[in-house]
Formats: sequence, structure tokens, C-alpha cells
Amino acid sequence: MTIKMKSANNAFTSSLVIMAMGLIFLPFVVFAQSDVTKNAQVDTSNAGVVVKVAPGELLPISVKLSNFGGGNRVDVLVAYSIVTSAGQEIYSSSETVAVETTDNFVKTIQIPFGTAPGIYTAKTSITYNGQLVPATTQFSFTVERKIFGLFQSDFFLYGGITLFASICVVFLGYVLVRRRHKTRFVPFDYSNIPRAERTFYEILSDTIAQMRGRVGDDALTIASRINGLKIDTETGRILDLNESPAKIIATLVSEYEKLLGKKVSFSFRSEKTDYKLIK
Amino acid sequence: MKTQKTVLIVEDEKSLRDALTDTLRLKGFLPLEAKNGLEGVRIALSKHPDMILLDLIMPEMDGMTALKKIREDSWGAHAPVIILTNVSATSEKIVEDMVTHKPINYLIKSDWKIHDVVDKISGLLKI
Repeated sequence: MTIKMKSANNAFTSSLVIMAMGLIFLPFVVFAQSDVTKNAQVDTSNAGVVVKVAPGELLPISVKLSNFGGGNRVDVLVAYSIVTSAGQEIYSSSETVAVETTDNFVKTIQIPFGTAPGIYTAKTSITYNGQLVPATTQFSFTVERKIFGLFQSDFFLYGGITLFASICVVFLGYVLVRRRHKTRFVPFDYSNIPRAERTFYEILSDTIAQMRGRVGDDALTIASRINGLKIDTETGRILDLNESPAKIIATLVSEYEKLLGKKVSFSFRSEKTDYKLIK
Repeated sequence: MKTQKTVLIVEDEKSLRDALTDTLRLKGFLPLEAKNGLEGVRIALSKHPDMILLDLIMPEMDGMTALKKIREDSWGAHAPVIILTNVSATSEKIVEDMVTHKPINYLIKSDWKIHDVVDKISGLLKI
């Protein structure tokens, strides 16, 4: 944005720098220069950051007046206004600042509580004695309501991300638990064990698996402590039986009943299994 | 027309036997009742039920003896039996008997609700 301004006073060379701040200090910079020999220029730049404020909050504007020169004090009238995108003014104020050579200050404007969400323009202009054309600069900002201390758009953005992440975590947890549960209950295949002993292996293996589903890995720990019973402590697969199998089962059931505080049921495998076995 | 599946309940405790009978009938089964092991063996071998629900501790003939007798029969050798008892399988003798005579399940009464037992029967008979 370029605004040309002229000064009637040869002694003064002035410039205006206005910086706007959002929640953090944001550099909106405007330069206004006046010179006796040439028309001054005003350059505006911003960092591409959109300023957001909520109704009732303060909009800080950093104003820098410099190069008035001459060593004499000049009374400068600084006028502030906020207008809607349709050009309707919703706020205006002004103040007189005495400037010798330079002056810096931060002006805060409270956005009216009833302000509707949308894009607004904050305009600032200076007028001083002998000036032919007022220097004006402006920048845009957004008014947005807050929910639980967050801007509405941020609230929905972060809320959405949090909700999505939560759903993912819950779903992933559910899948893992199901998979773990399913894996634990897939019976092991003991077809390599002689038929006479196989049933004992199957009862022990299935009882451990069922108990593991009820009390967790404690079921494996207890089973691994039974005399004559050798198991894979990671999976619960029966590796070997060194004592009377019936005695081992009775002892295991007894230990599980102590742990649960109640009696334990168990099942026998059918001759024709219609489920997969872990080899 | 689909034939009703028959379930023989061998149970000396009348209240439990009645509750199981009513629930099974409600689920579409044809329940048969026996109040001890001796009666259970006689009905099992004459009626050939689709499933036998057998208690262990009973007068006249206990459940394990009844199961042995049923297994001696050519039909009974493979008849599906569910043990429903309060006797814990913590003795070597019970475990050996179970492994020898192979019921489908060894269910502890206090661990199972009547509806769950009936649901298990339905599942096993694929109803």
C-alpha cells in the first residue's frame, strides 16, 4: 500500500510507523515520510499473519512516530477507527500526541462485546499542523468468538484432531485386545502327542488359556510352578508332563480355584474340531 | 418339520431340575427328566437323547458310575454329555474319570447360570 503525503513545513520531516499486535506482537509496519523536496511515501508490510481477537478483548496497535525533526514539539492528532468489511464503522477514537522528533507507544482498543464475527479493518491516521493530506494506514484482523479460552476455529480444529486421535487410540486398543484375546484362545495343536496323553495336554492347555483370559498372565506363572508341568511361559503351550497328568490337572485346577476364590469349569475338545489349531 | 432336540436332565435336586426343564422347553427343546443316576442310565439308553446333562452327586447311582454305564453302550459311547456339578475337579480320581469317559464339558453349577447352560447346549447342538 502506498500513500503519498505532502508537508507544508520545510523544517519537519516526519514518518509514521504503525505496528499492530495480536495475541503476540505482530509486525504490521507502515512508513510515512514527508520531505520538502519530494512527495513522501508510505509502505506497508505484514508477515502474512492474521490477527485474531475475540469480542471484548483488546487489540494492541503499536504506533511509531518519527523524523518530525527540527527540535520543536508538534501536536499530532492520531485517530483510530475500526470498520466492518462493508465499511460500517463500529469504533472510533482519537488522541493528541506531542512529538518532538520520535515517539513510540502502544494503543489498545477494546473490541466491543457485541461485535459479530468477521473480518474488520483497523484504520489509523495522523494529522498535524500544516499538513496538507492526512496520512492513513490500516490493517485487517479477524474477530472470532472463543470457546473454553480457544478461538472457535482453533477449538474445532484441535477438538477435531483430539477426537480423531482418541477414536484411533480406542479403535487400535480394541483391535489389539481382540487380537490378543483371540490369539490366547486359539488352541494349540497336540497331534504329535500320543493319543493316550493328548487329552491331558489339551485339557491343561485349554484350562490355562481360559484362566489367562480371566486373570491374565498370572495363569501362566501359576502353571509354570506346578510340579511335573513344563510350559512355554510366553504362550502357555504345554511342553512336557513329568508327573501323573491327572494329578497335574487336579493341582492346577486347585491352584486356580485358590486364585479365583471359586471353582473352575473346563471343557474337553471334540474329536472333530471346526476351529484352527496353533501348530 | 424339524424334529425337537431331546435333552436328558439327570439331577436329584428338584428345583434345579424343574428350572432347567422349563428353560429348555422355552427354548424349544424336548426335556427328559431323571432324578438319579440309575433312572438316568435307563432313560438314556432307551430314549437316546441328543444331549445328557449329568449331575455327579446323586442317590442310588452317582453321575460318574452312570456315565461309565452309558459309555459301555454302543450308542452311549459317543453320546454328548455335559457334567453339571458342584464337585470341584481337584482330585486325581475325578480328572482320570473325566479323561476316560470324556464329557464335553465339566461345568461348575455356581459358575453357570441356567440360561448360560441352555445357551451352551443350543450352541453344541447347533440350534
